[in-house]
Amino acid sequence: MEHTGDDPTTARPAATPGPPSAAAAPGTASGEPSPQPAPGLGARLRRDLRIGVKAGLQTFWELARVMIPAYGVTLVLERLGVIQWLAHLARPLMSLFGLPGDAAVPVMVGYVLNIYAAVGSMQALHLSAREITVLAIAILIGHSLLVEGAVLHKAGMNGFAFGALRVVAGLAAAAVANLLMGLF
Amino acid sequence: MADLLHAFIAGSFDLLLRIFLIVVPIMVVLELFEGTRPFRAVVRAWARVVRHVGLNERSAAPTLIGFLFGLAYGGGVIVRDIRRHDLGRRQVFIMSTFLSMVHAIAEDSLVFIALGASVFWVVAYRIVWAALVTLALTAVATVVVRRWKA
Repeated sequence: MEHTGDDPTTARPAATPGPPSAAAAPGTASGEPSPQPAPGLGARLRRDLRIGVKAGLQTFWELARVMIPAYGVTLVLERLGVIQWLAHLARPLMSLFGLPGDAAVPVMVGYVLNIYAAVGSMQALHLSAREITVLAIAILIGHSLLVEGAVLHKAGMNGFAFGALRVVAGLAAAAVANLLMGLF
Repeated sequence: MADLLHAFIAGSFDLLLRIFLIVVPIMVVLELFEGTRPFRAVVRAWARVVRHVGLNERSAAPTLIGFLFGLAYGGGVIVRDIRRHDLGRRQVFIMSTFLSMVHAIAEDSLVFIALGASVFWVVAYRIVWAALVTLALTAVATVVVRRWKA
């Protein structure tokens, strides 16, 4: 199934109609606008609440199913010392962004773990405001690559490709920001 | 090994609780307000903004959730909306690219702003960068898909 253009809206009558009955039965994407007798406010609230809770639980389950294994892999990578090893490899590259070699540690911590862990490891370094900003840009664009990649995978995208994109685009954004900051 | 398992269980529980406490309320609130006039006005206003990176009105709501709350939660809404009405691969690609570059605009940014990062660079610059990357990548993907299908 390949969609190149914007999907035609033929499946649904209006742009944003009320909660479609299709939610109750996943798979039936083209829910027909079943003629419902206008229910009272209370009944409508209850129905929306029920559909919302159901959609919430379903989404929770779907996210949990991909995020928890990704989190497990993350922990193992951390335990194996992969983060330190990557940081060691990336050390010489940090000068491209006007950063000290030690800044490779928070970047890799961010990629593998999350931004909170990255901020934690940044506090161990003594960085200038400008260095913090450049580092922040790289980490804000690329972080939690495994767990968030799993979510993108769930949406039907290639999690690895998007992980690579975030690393490359994040570092490029940091490099450009560093250059622009040098101008002003 | 035992402490790794312990860390995994504790961390998983934390993660699950966080997803649960955010995802279920988001879905309920969406369901309750999706059809209302103010909600539609907000989505329409947001749609007018994200139209510039190639997103249509239907993709606007999941993109807004992701932009505000985070990739995981936006991703959840994307998955829901794919299930409900096929958004189309192109739209999902554009959303994923844009949200990959910028999401959880308040929470994530504030963490670094608290550390002393500049608000302008961390917020404004990043949004502009996200838009540029999205436009560039969509253009490349369009050509690649066209060539591949031809």
